[in-house]
Amino acid sequence: MNPAVEVDRLSWTYHLAARPAVCDISLTIPAGEFTLIAGPNEAGKTTLAMAIKGLIPHSFPGRRAGVVRVFGEEVQRKEAALLAKQVGYVFSDPEAQFTSLTVEEEILFGLENIGVPESEIEHRIRRASELTMISDLLDKPPYDISGGQKQRVAIASVLAMDPEILILDEPTSMVDPLGKDLIVEICAELRRRRRLTLIVIEHNLEAFAALADRIVLIRGGRIERAAAPREFLEDPEFLERSGVYPPQVTQVFARLRAHGLYRGPLPLTDEEGIRAGDALLRGAGA
Amino acid sequence: MTLVRVEDATFSYPDGTRALDGVTLEITRGEFVALIGQNGSGKTTLSKCLAGLLRPTRGRVVVDGIDTASKGVMKDLVRRIGYVFQNPDHQLFNARVYDEIGYGPKNLGVPEAERDAIIREVAAVTGLHPDLFGEHPFFLSKGLRQRVAIAATLAVRPQVIVVDEPTTGQDYRQSIDVMDFLVRLRVERGHTIVIVTHEMPIVAAYAERVVALRGGRILMDGAAREVFSRPDVLAETFVKPPQATRLAHAWARNGVRGDALTVDELVDAMRAALAARDGPPAGRLEAGAAHPPQEAGDV
Repeated sequence: MNPAVEVDRLSWTYHLAARPAVCDISLTIPAGEFTLIAGPNEAGKTTLAMAIKGLIPHSFPGRRAGVVRVFGEEVQRKEAALLAKQVGYVFSDPEAQFTSLTVEEEILFGLENIGVPESEIEHRIRRASELTMISDLLDKPPYDISGGQKQRVAIASVLAMDPEILILDEPTSMVDPLGKDLIVEICAELRRRRRLTLIVIEHNLEAFAALADRIVLIRGGRIERAAAPREFLEDPEFLERSGVYPPQVTQVFARLRAHGLYRGPLPLTDEEGIRAGDALLRGAGA
Repeated sequence: MTLVRVEDATFSYPDGTRALDGVTLEITRGEFVALIGQNGSGKTTLSKCLAGLLRPTRGRVVVDGIDTASKGVMKDLVRRIGYVFQNPDHQLFNARVYDEIGYGPKNLGVPEAERDAIIREVAAVTGLHPDLFGEHPFFLSKGLRQRVAIAATLAVRPQVIVVDEPTTGQDYRQSIDVMDFLVRLRVERGHTIVIVTHEMPIVAAYAERVVALRGGRILMDGAAREVFSRPDVLAETFVKPPQATRLAHAWARNGVRGDALTVDELVDAMRAALAARDGPPAGRLEAGAAHPPQEAGDV
């Protein structure tokens, strides 16, 4: 089976830009995996994601080298309608993509656009809104809800189209703490089901690292590191220098390790950290 | 000395939503205060009331002796308290960075030569190179646009600076830069700083005082260490203490100081607890001694 995404030596320079936004990037994402993309602002994360969605080169002028394949087929050779259906993209500012008067119409709009038969529509809307916990918002105007709710509506309208690849671009950046937890929960549920390939661009490693199959660090348009979460977080100081804030629990145990006080694997979550710390303090874990 | 006094302030939006419900609060000169809470908790409304952008529908807000609801006080008020919006695009409207920064002083009738000196000074303070003066703010990065917004606020030299969500949309390095910058404004120039934020690690690392709101009321008001040591109460506004504090709290049952706020503090607390467990009595500790052997079982 073809991988969901193959990026092969991709470089892209936006029209009139002095430097390439992404530079010689190669990355293969197997179908069903959850990939977390981290890195400082302006590092090329969104550009890479837009190349997978085909927005580059379809919607932006610029210079390209290399190819992006989605399920084995070159993105620029793919029919736009098929690509739109296969790859869903939720922007960090969801309001920018709203066009309708109610949340339900917002979800419906995308479904009608890709020609989903009427008999299926109600079911699709219900399924997407249950997963994103917005069932009680369907008759509200999408402008008149909180930032976290908007983000979930945007995710619902893309999910309803049944994409095989879902890209979330900084889904928690404009969202309050409760809203963040709900979005993390949605991603955890999507990962558990393994029905789609999930690509999430995020600064918040604390909430997302443990969910991901692989984390990719992009900096200055290049991939600096790509590894499974525990391996990726192995050197928190390197990550900090690269402009990424590792989970505090990982930082703490890396520092204890540097002091010769801890020898186990670096924990990724509160639960793992509490257990490792308890064991260490009781004298069993070092 | 009290600089800002909020007396039993209530604020209702025209649609009847009561965003603030009897809030009383005093902010002392030179404090670094963080307002936290769930969306709808009232923190942004409170911050706007502090700056006189909203007037309480009941109660009062007094800034350095000036009641924000009095007529004709805006000119005096802007010299005392300035507001930086979360989205810098909500406040930037001039076509050149230079004019944007100079807009406030110009409005207050500051003569041109003096204005130029102020613009250059606040640009230097905010790290905006004079090469940027002719640029259109719209074409700068978000981080730079926010600096322009802060510079424009500083140019009228308000005693208190209120910043809504200073780190939203910023990456790790940019977040540290903007927070360090606010600390410098406080330490070197004596400004009082109020931030509104969802980022608890930022609050723990930078704010001395935390005011947590819920449903338009103050849920907790105290030192960051006190507020974060009550996760049960904080949970009412859906805020979790930073991860380091959560771990410290859990390990307290094993003799770790339970109130660490940052990674540094938690590592120190952990090392102290391990040393207390493993180490020889303090008097016999030799300089350069090897790491004490591991204990096999519980101590």
